[in-house]
Amino acid sequence: MTFIQVVINGLLLGSMYGIAAAGLSLIFGTMRIIFLAQGTVIVFFAFVTYWLFVKAHIDPYICLLIVVPFAFLVGLGLFYALFRKAAALEDKNVSLLLAVGLMYLIENSILKVWSASPRGLDISYSGISLVGGGLRVSVLRLILLVLALVSAFVVYMFLKKTRLGTAVRAASEDMEATTLQGINSVWVCAISFAIGIGLAGVAGVGMATVYSFDYQFGFSFAIKALVALALGGLGNVFGALAGGLILGIIENLTAFYVSISWIEAVSYGVFILVLIFLPQGLFGRRGVVKKV
Amino acid sequence: MANPLLEVKDLSVSYGDVRALTGVSLEVEEGTIVALVGSNGAGKSTLLKAIAGLKQAGSGQVLFEGEDITAVSTKHHVDRGIVLVPEGRRLFQTLTVLENLRLGAYLPKARTTFEESLERVFGLFPVLKERANGKAGLLSGGEQQMLAIGRAVMAHPKVVMIDEASLGLSPILTRRIFELIVALNQQGTTVLLVEQNIHMALNVCHKAYVMKTGHIMMSGTGEELLANPDVRKAYVGERGSKLV
Ligand SMILES: Nc1ncnc2c1ncn2[C@@H]1O[C@H](COP(=O)(O)OP(=O)(O)OP(=O)(O)O)[C@@H](O)[C@H]1O
Ligand SMILES: [Mg+2]
Repeated sequence: MTFIQVVINGLLLGSMYGIAAAGLSLIFGTMRIIFLAQGTVIVFFAFVTYWLFVKAHIDPYICLLIVVPFAFLVGLGLFYALFRKAAALEDKNVSLLLAVGLMYLIENSILKVWSASPRGLDISYSGISLVGGGLRVSVLRLILLVLALVSAFVVYMFLKKTRLGTAVRAASEDMEATTLQGINSVWVCAISFAIGIGLAGVAGVGMATVYSFDYQFGFSFAIKALVALALGGLGNVFGALAGGLILGIIENLTAFYVSISWIEAVSYGVFILVLIFLPQGLFGRRGVVKKV
Repeated sequence: MANPLLEVKDLSVSYGDVRALTGVSLEVEEGTIVALVGSNGAGKSTLLKAIAGLKQAGSGQVLFEGEDITAVSTKHHVDRGIVLVPEGRRLFQTLTVLENLRLGAYLPKARTTFEESLERVFGLFPVLKERANGKAGLLSGGEQQMLAIGRAVMAHPKVVMIDEASLGLSPILTRRIFELIVALNQQGTTVLLVEQNIHMALNVCHKAYVMKTGHIMMSGTGEELLANPDVRKAYVGERGSKLV
Protein backbone atom coordinates (compact mmCIF):
# COMPACT_ATOMS: atom_id res chain seq x y z
CA MET A 1 0.00 0.00 0.00
CA THR A 2 2.83 2.40 0.78
CA PHE A 3 4.15 1.92 -2.74
CA ILE A 4 0.83 2.92 -4.26
CA GLN A 5 0.64 5.92 -1.94
CA VAL A 6 4.12 6.99 -2.98
CA VAL A 7 3.23 6.65 -6.66
CA ILE A 8 0.00 8.62 -6.18
CA ASN A 9 1.85 11.40 -4.41
CA GLY A 10 4.38 11.40 -7.23
CA LEU A 11 1.62 11.66 -9.78
CA LEU A 12 0.17 14.65 -7.95
CA LEU A 13 3.57 16.29 -7.66
CA GLY A 14 4.25 15.65 -11.33
CA SER A 15 1.11 17.37 -12.56
CA MET A 16 2.87 20.72 -12.06
CA TYR A 17 5.80 19.60 -14.18
CA GLY A 18 3.31 18.33 -16.71
CA ILE A 19 1.52 21.66 -17.18
CA ALA A 20 4.83 23.48 -17.45
CA ALA A 21 6.16 20.94 -19.94
CA ALA A 22 3.00 21.18 -22.06
CA GLY A 23 3.61 24.93 -22.28
CA LEU A 24 7.26 24.39 -23.23
CA SER A 25 6.18 21.94 -25.89
CA LEU A 26 3.75 24.38 -27.51
CA ILE A 27 6.26 27.20 -27.49
CA PHE A 28 8.97 24.95 -28.86
CA GLY A 29 6.66 23.86 -31.68
CA THR A 30 6.55 27.21 -33.38
CA MET A 31 9.54 29.10 -31.93
CA ARG A 32 12.02 26.22 -31.96
CA ILE A 33 13.52 27.21 -28.63
CA ILE A 34 13.32 25.85 -25.11
CA PHE A 35 11.66 28.75 -23.34
CA LEU A 36 13.90 28.81 -20.30
CA ALA A 37 11.96 31.62 -18.66
CA GLN A 38 8.86 29.38 -18.33
CA GLY A 39 9.58 28.48 -14.69
CA THR A 40 10.16 32.09 -13.68
CA VAL A 41 7.00 33.15 -15.50
CA ILE A 42 5.15 30.48 -13.48
CA VAL A 43 6.62 31.88 -10.27
CA PHE A 44 5.51 35.33 -11.36
CA PHE A 45 1.93 34.10 -11.74
CA ALA A 46 2.22 32.34 -8.38
CA PHE A 47 3.06 35.74 -6.88
CA VAL A 48 0.13 37.32 -8.71
CA THR A 49 -2.12 34.63 -7.22
CA TYR A 50 -0.58 35.21 -3.81
CA TRP A 51 -1.24 38.91 -4.13
CA LEU A 52 -4.86 38.40 -5.21
CA PHE A 53 -5.32 35.99 -2.32
CA VAL A 54 -3.78 38.18 0.34
CA LYS A 55 -4.95 41.61 -0.83
CA ALA A 56 -8.31 40.83 -2.32
CA HIS A 57 -9.08 37.57 -0.52
CA ILE A 58 -9.89 35.82 -3.73
CA ASP A 59 -9.98 32.04 -3.55
CA PRO A 60 -7.06 30.63 -5.57
CA TYR A 61 -9.34 28.65 -7.87
CA ILE A 62 -11.38 31.76 -8.59
CA CYS A 63 -8.01 33.39 -9.30
CA LEU A 64 -7.67 31.01 -12.26
CA LEU A 65 -10.41 32.98 -14.00
CA ILE A 66 -8.33 36.12 -13.65
CA VAL A 67 -4.78 34.80 -13.88
CA VAL A 68 -5.15 32.57 -16.94
CA PRO A 69 -6.67 35.19 -19.28
CA PHE A 70 -4.16 37.70 -17.89
CA ALA A 71 -1.33 35.25 -18.58
CA PHE A 72 -2.59 34.76 -22.13
CA LEU A 73 -2.52 38.53 -22.71
CA VAL A 74 0.92 38.80 -21.13
CA GLY A 75 2.00 36.07 -23.58
CA LEU A 76 0.71 38.01 -26.57
CA GLY A 77 2.36 41.17 -25.28
CA LEU A 78 5.69 39.47 -24.66
CA PHE A 79 5.63 37.89 -28.09
CA TYR A 80 4.99 41.10 -29.97
CA ALA A 81 7.33 43.17 -27.79
CA LEU A 82 10.26 40.76 -27.60
CA PHE A 83 10.09 37.72 -29.80
CA ARG A 84 8.40 38.78 -32.97
CA LYS A 85 11.58 39.80 -34.80
CA ALA A 86 13.76 37.14 -33.22
CA ALA A 87 11.30 34.37 -34.07
CA ALA A 88 11.67 35.16 -37.75
CA LEU A 89 15.44 34.73 -37.67
CA GLU A 90 17.12 31.58 -38.84
CA ASP A 91 19.42 31.73 -35.82
CA LYS A 92 17.34 30.58 -32.85
CA ASN A 93 20.02 31.57 -30.35
CA VAL A 94 18.70 35.13 -30.35
CA SER A 95 15.32 33.93 -29.07
CA LEU A 96 17.00 31.68 -26.55
CA LEU A 97 19.13 34.50 -25.20
CA LEU A 98 16.09 36.74 -25.05
CA ALA A 99 14.36 34.09 -22.94
CA VAL A 100 17.33 33.98 -20.57
CA GLY A 101 17.38 37.77 -20.31
CA LEU A 102 13.66 37.80 -19.69
CA MET A 103 14.07 35.18 -16.97
CA TYR A 104 16.52 37.31 -14.99
CA LEU A 105 14.51 40.44 -15.61
CA ILE A 106 11.37 38.84 -14.15
CA GLU A 107 13.32 37.23 -11.32
CA ASN A 108 14.80 40.52 -10.23
CA SER A 109 11.57 42.40 -10.68
CA ILE A 110 9.83 39.91 -8.39
CA LEU A 111 12.64 40.40 -5.90
CA LYS A 112 12.16 44.16 -6.01
CA VAL A 113 8.38 44.08 -5.80
CA TRP A 114 7.76 41.21 -3.41
CA SER A 115 11.14 40.78 -1.65
CA ALA A 116 13.15 37.61 -1.27
CA SER A 117 11.14 35.90 1.41
CA PRO A 118 9.35 32.71 0.43
CA ARG A 119 5.56 32.79 0.15
CA GLY A 120 2.81 30.26 0.45
CA LEU A 121 -0.94 30.51 0.64
CA ASP A 122 -2.72 29.83 3.86
CA ILE A 123 -5.79 28.22 2.37
CA SER A 124 -8.55 27.29 4.82
CA TYR A 125 -9.22 23.91 3.23
CA SER A 126 -5.59 22.98 2.61
CA GLY A 127 -5.64 20.26 5.25
CA ILE A 128 -8.52 18.33 3.71
CA SER A 129 -7.67 14.93 2.29
CA LEU A 130 -9.59 12.11 0.73
CA VAL A 131 -9.03 8.94 2.67
CA GLY A 132 -9.96 5.45 1.55
CA GLY A 133 -8.54 1.98 1.12
CA GLY A 134 -5.58 2.88 3.24
CA LEU A 135 -4.69 5.75 0.87
CA ARG A 136 -4.70 9.43 1.54
CA VAL A 137 -4.88 12.14 -1.12
CA SER A 138 -4.64 15.86 -0.45
CA VAL A 139 -7.55 17.65 -2.09
CA LEU A 140 -5.41 20.60 -3.19
CA ARG A 141 -3.02 18.32 -4.99
CA LEU A 142 -5.82 16.29 -6.50
CA ILE A 143 -7.35 19.47 -7.90
CA LEU A 144 -3.96 20.27 -9.37
CA LEU A 145 -3.90 16.94 -11.21
CA VAL A 146 -7.40 17.59 -12.51
CA LEU A 147 -6.30 21.07 -13.63
CA ALA A 148 -3.36 19.57 -15.50
CA LEU A 149 -5.55 17.00 -17.23
CA VAL A 150 -8.20 19.56 -18.14
CA SER A 151 -5.61 22.04 -19.46
CA ALA A 152 -3.94 19.40 -21.59
CA PHE A 153 -7.32 18.29 -22.91
CA VAL A 154 -8.37 21.84 -23.78
CA VAL A 155 -5.10 22.51 -25.59
CA TYR A 156 -5.36 19.18 -27.38
CA MET A 157 -8.89 19.95 -28.58
CA PHE A 158 -7.79 23.39 -29.71
CA LEU A 159 -4.93 21.91 -31.73
CA LYS A 160 -6.99 19.09 -33.21
CA LYS A 161 -10.40 20.60 -33.77
CA THR A 162 -10.04 24.27 -34.59
CA ARG A 163 -8.86 25.97 -37.72
CA LEU A 164 -6.32 28.08 -35.83
CA GLY A 165 -5.12 25.03 -33.91
CA THR A 166 -4.55 23.18 -37.16
CA ALA A 167 -2.57 26.18 -38.36
CA VAL A 168 -0.46 25.99 -35.19
CA ARG A 169 0.34 22.35 -35.91
CA ALA A 170 1.12 23.22 -39.51
CA ALA A 171 3.41 26.06 -38.44
CA SER A 172 5.21 23.73 -36.03
CA GLU A 173 6.04 21.63 -39.03
CA ASP A 174 6.78 24.15 -41.75
CA MET A 175 6.49 27.87 -41.18
CA GLU A 176 7.11 28.89 -44.78
CA ALA A 177 4.57 26.44 -46.17
CA THR A 178 2.09 27.77 -43.62
CA THR A 179 2.69 31.31 -44.86
CA LEU A 180 2.12 30.07 -48.40
CA GLN A 181 -1.45 29.10 -47.48
CA GLY A 182 -2.13 32.77 -46.81
CA ILE A 183 -1.90 32.18 -43.08
CA ASN A 184 -0.45 34.94 -40.93
CA SER A 185 2.29 32.85 -39.35
CA VAL A 186 3.38 35.64 -36.98
CA TRP A 187 -0.08 35.59 -35.46
CA VAL A 188 -0.01 31.79 -35.28
CA CYS A 189 3.32 31.92 -33.42
CA ALA A 190 1.95 34.61 -31.12
CA ILE A 191 -1.09 32.48 -30.30
CA SER A 192 0.90 29.36 -29.50
CA PHE A 193 3.30 31.38 -27.38
CA ALA A 194 0.37 33.00 -25.56
CA ILE A 195 -1.21 29.61 -24.89
CA GLY A 196 2.13 28.41 -23.52
CA ILE A 197 2.16 31.40 -21.17
CA GLY A 198 -1.52 30.80 -20.37
CA LEU A 199 -0.49 27.32 -19.22
CA ALA A 200 2.17 28.99 -17.11
CA GLY A 201 -0.70 30.92 -15.54
CA VAL A 202 -2.45 27.66 -14.65
CA ALA A 203 0.80 26.29 -13.27
CA GLY A 204 1.37 29.51 -11.33
CA VAL A 205 -1.96 29.21 -9.55
CA GLY A 206 -1.21 25.55 -8.93
CA MET A 207 2.20 26.40 -7.55
CA ALA A 208 0.71 28.96 -5.19
CA THR A 209 -1.74 26.40 -3.81
CA VAL A 210 0.73 23.65 -2.95
CA TYR A 211 4.26 25.04 -2.80
CA SER A 212 6.19 27.49 -0.82
CA PHE A 213 7.94 29.56 -3.48
CA ASP A 214 10.38 32.43 -3.80
CA TYR A 215 11.74 34.54 -6.64
CA GLN A 216 14.54 32.09 -7.48
CA PHE A 217 12.38 29.01 -7.61
CA GLY A 218 11.67 29.40 -11.32
CA PHE A 219 14.83 28.32 -13.06
CA SER A 220 15.14 24.95 -11.38
CA PHE A 221 11.47 24.48 -12.06
CA ALA A 222 11.97 25.21 -15.76
CA ILE A 223 14.72 22.61 -15.81
CA LYS A 224 12.35 20.09 -14.24
CA ALA A 225 9.82 20.89 -16.92
CA LEU A 226 12.57 20.38 -19.47
CA VAL A 227 13.29 16.94 -18.02
CA ALA A 228 9.57 16.17 -18.25
CA LEU A 229 9.57 17.34 -21.84
CA ALA A 230 12.53 15.12 -22.67
CA LEU A 231 10.74 12.18 -21.07
CA GLY A 232 7.50 12.84 -22.90
CA GLY A 233 8.97 13.82 -26.22
CA LEU A 234 8.57 17.04 -28.17
CA GLY A 235 5.53 17.88 -30.22
CA ASN A 236 2.79 16.21 -28.22
CA VAL A 237 0.87 17.90 -25.40
CA PHE A 238 -0.24 14.70 -23.69
CA GLY A 239 3.28 13.30 -24.01
CA ALA A 240 4.61 16.34 -22.17
CA LEU A 241 1.99 15.95 -19.45
CA ALA A 242 2.76 12.24 -19.10
CA GLY A 243 6.47 13.08 -18.92
CA GLY A 244 5.73 15.40 -16.02
CA LEU A 245 3.70 12.79 -14.18
CA ILE A 246 6.42 10.18 -14.67
CA LEU A 247 9.06 12.60 -13.40
CA GLY A 248 6.94 13.26 -10.33
CA ILE A 249 6.67 9.54 -9.67
CA ILE A 250 10.41 9.02 -10.13
CA GLU A 251 11.14 11.86 -7.71
CA ASN A 252 8.78 10.58 -5.09
CA LEU A 253 9.99 7.01 -5.33
CA THR A 254 13.55 8.28 -4.95
CA ALA A 255 12.62 10.39 -1.95
CA PHE A 256 10.88 7.52 -0.25
CA TYR A 257 13.05 4.54 -1.05
CA VAL A 258 16.46 6.22 -1.39
CA SER A 259 16.72 9.62 0.16
CA ILE A 260 15.37 13.10 -0.40
CA SER A 261 18.88 14.33 -1.06
CA TRP A 262 19.10 12.05 -4.10
CA ILE A 263 16.05 13.48 -5.88
CA GLU A 264 17.91 15.96 -8.05
CA ALA A 265 20.72 13.60 -8.99
CA VAL A 266 18.28 10.87 -10.00
CA SER A 267 16.08 13.24 -12.06
CA TYR A 268 19.00 14.57 -14.03
CA GLY A 269 20.45 11.09 -14.37
CA VAL A 270 17.17 9.99 -15.95
CA PHE A 271 17.23 13.13 -18.11
CA ILE A 272 20.64 12.27 -19.51
CA LEU A 273 19.83 8.59 -19.99
CA VAL A 274 16.66 9.46 -21.88
CA LEU A 275 18.51 11.89 -24.12
CA ILE A 276 21.16 9.27 -24.90
CA PHE A 277 18.99 6.23 -25.44
CA LEU A 278 15.59 7.63 -26.32
CA PRO A 279 16.08 11.11 -27.75
CA GLN A 280 12.53 11.20 -29.14
CA GLY A 281 11.14 10.61 -25.63
CA LEU A 282 8.66 8.00 -24.55
CA PHE A 283 5.74 9.37 -26.53
CA GLY A 284 7.52 11.64 -29.00
CA ARG A 285 6.71 11.99 -32.62
CA ARG A 286 9.15 10.09 -34.71
CA GLY A 287 10.93 12.38 -37.11
CA VAL A 288 11.26 15.25 -34.64
CA VAL A 289 14.73 13.96 -33.93
CA LYS A 290 16.42 13.25 -37.23
CA LYS A 291 19.38 10.92 -37.40
CA VAL A 292 22.35 12.24 -39.32
CA MET B 1 -4.87 43.93 -75.98
CA ALA B 2 -5.93 43.58 -72.36
CA ASN B 3 -3.37 43.49 -69.63
CA PRO B 4 -1.85 40.10 -68.95
CA LEU B 5 -3.14 38.47 -65.76
CA LEU B 6 0.32 38.44 -64.25
CA GLU B 7 3.20 40.62 -65.28
CA VAL B 8 6.74 40.80 -63.95
CA LYS B 9 8.64 43.93 -64.87
CA ASP B 10 12.40 44.28 -64.61
CA LEU B 11 12.56 42.36 -61.33
CA SER B 12 15.82 42.00 -59.39
CA VAL B 13 16.24 39.92 -56.26
CA SER B 14 19.26 39.23 -54.06
CA TYR B 15 20.13 36.94 -51.20
CA GLY B 16 22.33 39.21 -49.13
CA ASP B 17 25.11 40.21 -51.53
CA VAL B 18 24.31 37.47 -54.01
CA ARG B 19 22.19 38.49 -56.97
CA ALA B 20 19.74 35.76 -57.87
CA LEU B 21 17.61 37.62 -60.41
CA THR B 22 18.58 40.52 -62.66
CA GLY B 23 16.02 42.50 -64.61
CA VAL B 24 13.58 39.67 -65.16
CA SER B 25 10.40 40.40 -67.10
CA LEU B 26 7.66 38.04 -68.09
CA GLU B 27 3.97 37.95 -68.84
CA VAL B 28 1.36 35.34 -68.11
CA GLU B 29 -1.89 35.60 -70.06
CA GLU B 30 -5.08 34.50 -68.44
CA GLY B 31 -6.02 30.89 -69.11
CA THR B 32 -2.61 29.81 -70.37
CA ILE B 33 0.13 27.51 -69.17
CA VAL B 34 3.48 29.27 -69.02
CA ALA B 35 6.64 27.27 -68.47
CA LEU B 36 9.84 28.54 -66.92
CA VAL B 37 12.85 26.39 -67.67
CA GLY B 38 16.56 26.63 -67.09
CA SER B 39 19.50 24.94 -65.44
CA ASN B 40 20.04 24.51 -61.71
CA GLY B 41 20.53 27.72 -59.84
CA ALA B 42 19.13 29.82 -62.69
CA GLY B 43 16.76 31.58 -60.32
CA LYS B 44 13.47 29.89 -61.20
CA SER B 45 12.41 29.16 -57.64
CA THR B 46 13.52 32.61 -56.56
CA LEU B 47 11.32 34.16 -59.23
CA LEU B 48 8.27 32.18 -58.10
CA LYS B 49 8.93 33.08 -54.47
CA ALA B 50 9.27 36.74 -55.36
CA ILE B 51 5.96 36.62 -57.26
CA ALA B 52 4.33 34.88 -54.27
CA GLY B 53 5.52 37.63 -51.92
CA LEU B 54 7.73 35.24 -49.99
CA LYS B 55 10.96 36.86 -51.14
CA GLN B 56 11.28 40.60 -51.24
CA ALA B 57 12.23 42.20 -54.53
CA GLY B 58 15.22 44.55 -54.67
CA SER B 59 13.74 46.45 -57.58
CA GLY B 60 11.14 46.01 -60.27
CA GLN B 61 7.46 45.20 -60.12
CA VAL B 62 4.99 42.37 -60.00
CA LEU B 63 1.60 43.28 -61.41
CA PHE B 64 -1.50 41.18 -60.98
CA GLU B 65 -4.61 42.14 -62.95
CA GLY B 66 -2.81 45.39 -63.61
CA GLU B 67 -2.28 46.15 -59.94
CA ASP B 68 1.13 46.45 -58.27
CA ILE B 69 1.48 43.65 -55.71
CA THR B 70 5.27 43.76 -55.34
CA ALA B 71 5.30 44.80 -51.71
CA VAL B 72 2.18 43.15 -50.31
CA SER B 73 2.26 40.11 -48.07
CA THR B 74 1.82 36.50 -49.15
CA LYS B 75 -1.57 36.49 -47.45
CA HIS B 76 -2.84 39.11 -49.88
CA HIS B 77 -1.37 37.25 -52.82
CA VAL B 78 -3.26 34.13 -51.80
CA ASP B 79 -6.41 36.14 -51.19
CA ARG B 80 -6.16 37.71 -54.63
CA GLY B 81 -5.66 34.35 -56.27
CA ILE B 82 -1.93 33.67 -56.71
CA VAL B 83 -0.81 30.48 -55.03
CA LEU B 84 2.57 28.77 -55.04
CA VAL B 85 3.10 25.02 -54.89
CA PRO B 86 6.65 25.08 -53.56
CA GLU B 87 9.61 23.02 -54.65
CA GLY B 88 9.66 19.77 -52.67
CA ARG B 89 5.86 19.95 -52.06
CA ARG B 90 6.20 21.03 -48.44
CA LEU B 91 3.11 19.22 -47.23
CA PHE B 92 2.21 19.10 -43.56
CA GLN B 93 3.29 15.51 -43.16
CA THR B 94 1.80 14.80 -39.73
CA LEU B 95 -1.55 16.32 -40.69
CA THR B 96 -4.19 14.38 -42.58
CA VAL B 97 -4.86 14.86 -46.28
CA LEU B 98 -8.11 16.63 -45.43
CA GLU B 99 -6.39 18.92 -42.91
CA ASN B 100 -3.85 19.88 -45.56
CA LEU B 101 -6.68 20.71 -47.94
CA ARG B 102 -8.50 22.70 -45.26
CA LEU B 103 -5.40 24.80 -44.68
CA GLY B 104 -5.30 25.50 -48.41
CA ALA B 105 -8.71 27.15 -47.99
CA TYR B 106 -7.78 29.01 -44.79
CA LEU B 107 -8.70 32.54 -45.79
CA PRO B 108 -12.34 33.66 -45.45
CA LYS B 109 -12.90 34.09 -49.16
CA ALA B 110 -11.56 30.63 -49.97
CA ARG B 111 -13.62 29.18 -47.13
CA THR B 112 -16.85 30.28 -48.79
CA THR B 113 -16.05 28.05 -51.76
CA PHE B 114 -14.67 25.20 -49.65
CA GLU B 115 -17.16 22.49 -50.64
CA GLU B 116 -16.98 23.39 -54.29
CA SER B 117 -13.17 23.44 -54.25
CA LEU B 118 -13.00 20.16 -52.39
CA GLU B 119 -15.22 18.55 -55.01
CA ARG B 120 -12.99 19.92 -57.71
CA VAL B 121 -9.84 18.57 -56.04
CA PHE B 122 -11.39 15.15 -55.46
CA GLY B 123 -12.56 15.18 -59.07
CA LEU B 124 -9.05 15.86 -60.33
CA PHE B 125 -7.36 13.56 -57.79
CA PRO B 126 -9.79 10.83 -56.70
CA VAL B 127 -7.04 9.09 -54.73
CA LEU B 128 -7.02 12.01 -52.29
CA LYS B 129 -10.64 11.30 -51.45
CA GLU B 130 -9.80 7.70 -50.61
CA ARG B 131 -6.91 8.81 -48.43
CA ALA B 132 -8.65 11.86 -46.96
CA ASN B 133 -8.20 10.85 -43.33
CA GLY B 134 -4.74 9.37 -43.71
CA LYS B 135 -1.58 11.26 -42.82
CA ALA B 136 -0.12 13.24 -45.73
CA GLY B 137 3.34 11.87 -44.92
CA LEU B 138 2.18 8.35 -45.74
CA LEU B 139 1.23 9.18 -49.34
CA SER B 140 3.44 8.08 -52.22
CA GLY B 141 5.51 10.69 -54.05
CA GLY B 142 2.97 11.08 -56.84
CA GLU B 143 0.08 11.33 -54.41
CA GLN B 144 1.99 13.91 -52.40
CA GLN B 145 2.43 16.05 -55.50
CA MET B 146 -1.28 15.72 -56.19
CA LEU B 147 -2.03 16.85 -52.65
CA ALA B 148 0.37 19.78 -52.96
CA ILE B 149 -1.43 20.92 -56.10
CA GLY B 150 -4.81 20.11 -54.55
CA ARG B 151 -3.98 22.23 -51.50
CA ALA B 152 -3.27 25.16 -53.82
CA VAL B 153 -6.52 24.60 -55.73
CA MET B 154 -8.40 24.83 -52.42
CA ALA B 155 -7.50 28.53 -52.29
CA HIS B 156 -9.72 29.04 -55.37
CA PRO B 157 -6.79 30.57 -57.25
CA LYS B 158 -6.63 32.38 -60.55
CA VAL B 159 -2.97 31.45 -61.02
CA VAL B 160 -1.24 28.37 -59.66
CA MET B 161 2.56 28.44 -59.71
CA ILE B 162 4.08 24.97 -59.53
CA ASP B 163 7.77 24.55 -58.76
CA GLU B 164 9.14 21.27 -60.11
CA ALA B 165 6.08 19.08 -60.16
CA SER B 166 8.11 16.14 -61.51
CA LEU B 167 10.73 16.20 -58.75
CA GLY B 168 11.51 12.66 -57.69
CA LEU B 169 8.74 11.13 -59.80
CA SER B 170 9.03 8.33 -62.36
CA PRO B 171 8.48 9.25 -66.04
CA ILE B 172 5.05 7.63 -65.99
CA LEU B 173 3.99 9.56 -62.88
CA THR B 174 5.44 12.74 -64.31
CA ARG B 175 3.30 12.30 -67.39
CA ARG B 176 0.27 11.67 -65.20
CA ILE B 177 0.90 14.82 -63.13
CA PHE B 178 1.28 16.85 -66.31
CA GLU B 179 -2.02 15.51 -67.62
CA LEU B 180 -3.61 16.66 -64.41
CA ILE B 181 -2.00 20.09 -64.67
CA VAL B 182 -3.42 20.39 -68.19
CA ALA B 183 -6.84 19.33 -66.86
CA LEU B 184 -6.58 21.98 -64.16
CA ASN B 185 -5.75 24.56 -66.80
CA GLN B 186 -8.69 23.47 -68.94
CA GLN B 187 -10.96 24.18 -65.99
CA GLY B 188 -9.84 27.78 -66.37
CA THR B 189 -6.93 28.10 -63.95
CA THR B 190 -3.83 29.82 -65.24
CA VAL B 191 -0.62 27.90 -64.60
CA LEU B 192 2.96 29.09 -64.28
CA LEU B 193 5.26 26.12 -63.95
CA VAL B 194 8.93 25.63 -63.34
CA GLU B 195 10.22 22.37 -64.67
CA GLN B 196 13.43 20.40 -65.01
CA ASN B 197 11.79 18.04 -67.44
CA ILE B 198 12.01 20.55 -70.26
CA HIS B 199 10.64 18.34 -72.96
CA MET B 200 7.46 17.73 -71.01
CA ALA B 201 7.11 21.39 -70.05
CA LEU B 202 7.60 22.69 -73.57
CA ASN B 203 5.05 20.24 -74.90
CA VAL B 204 2.20 21.32 -72.66
CA CYS B 205 2.78 25.06 -72.36
CA HIS B 206 1.41 27.90 -74.45
CA LYS B 207 4.48 29.98 -73.83
CA ALA B 208 7.86 29.40 -72.24
CA TYR B 209 10.76 31.38 -70.85
CA VAL B 210 14.32 30.09 -70.65
CA MET B 211 16.34 31.34 -67.69
CA LYS B 212 20.05 31.30 -67.07
CA THR B 213 21.97 32.76 -64.12
CA GLY B 214 19.26 35.14 -63.10
CA HIS B 215 18.32 36.38 -66.55
CA ILE B 216 15.65 35.51 -69.07
CA MET B 217 17.56 34.27 -72.12
CA MET B 218 14.75 33.46 -74.49
CA SER B 219 11.03 33.15 -74.78
CA GLY B 220 8.56 31.75 -77.25
CA THR B 221 5.96 29.08 -77.74
CA GLY B 222 6.84 25.55 -76.73
CA GLU B 223 7.25 24.49 -80.38
CA GLU B 224 9.54 27.40 -81.16
CA LEU B 225 11.83 26.61 -78.26
CA LEU B 226 11.79 22.88 -78.96
CA ALA B 227 12.86 23.65 -82.48
CA ASN B 228 15.59 26.02 -81.36
CA PRO B 229 18.99 24.34 -81.79
CA ASP B 230 20.52 26.15 -78.76
CA VAL B 231 17.72 25.01 -76.49
CA ARG B 232 17.89 21.48 -77.86
CA LYS B 233 21.64 21.33 -77.35
CA ALA B 234 21.63 22.87 -73.88
CA TYR B 235 18.64 21.27 -72.25
CA VAL B 236 16.52 18.85 -74.18
CA GLY B 237 19.12 16.36 -75.41
CA GLU B 238 20.15 14.41 -72.38
CA ARG B 239 16.97 14.92 -70.38
CA GLY B 240 14.62 14.38 -73.31
CA SER B 241 16.08 11.04 -74.22
CA LYS B 242 16.00 9.90 -70.63
CA LEU B 243 12.58 11.03 -69.64
CA VAL B 244 10.34 10.95 -72.66
N1 LIG C 1 18.22 31.00 -49.30
C1 LIG C 1 19.22 31.34 -50.14
N2 LIG C 1 20.29 31.99 -49.67
C2 LIG C 1 21.29 32.35 -50.49
N3 LIG C 1 21.33 32.09 -51.80
C3 LIG C 1 20.28 31.43 -52.34
C4 LIG C 1 19.17 31.01 -51.53
N4 LIG C 1 18.29 30.39 -52.32
C5 LIG C 1 18.81 30.40 -53.57
N5 LIG C 1 20.00 31.03 -53.58
C6 LIG C 1 20.83 31.27 -54.76
O1 LIG C 1 20.07 31.95 -55.72
C7 LIG C 1 20.29 31.43 -57.01
C8 LIG C 1 18.99 30.99 -57.62
O2 LIG C 1 18.47 29.91 -56.87
P1 LIG C 1 17.08 29.24 -57.20
O3 LIG C 1 16.77 28.28 -56.14
O4 LIG C 1 16.09 30.30 -57.49
O5 LIG C 1 17.41 28.46 -58.55
P2 LIG C 1 16.54 27.41 -59.35
O6 LIG C 1 16.55 27.86 -60.76
O7 LIG C 1 15.24 27.20 -58.72
O8 LIG C 1 17.41 26.10 -59.22
P3 LIG C 1 16.98 24.57 -59.12
O9 LIG C 1 16.70 24.14 -60.51
O10 LIG C 1 18.19 23.91 -58.57
O11 LIG C 1 15.81 24.50 -58.22
C9 LIG C 1 21.30 30.30 -56.84
O12 LIG C 1 22.57 30.80 -57.16
C10 LIG C 1 21.23 29.95 -55.39
O13 LIG C 1 22.48 29.51 -54.93
MG1 LIG D 1 14.32 25.63 -57.79
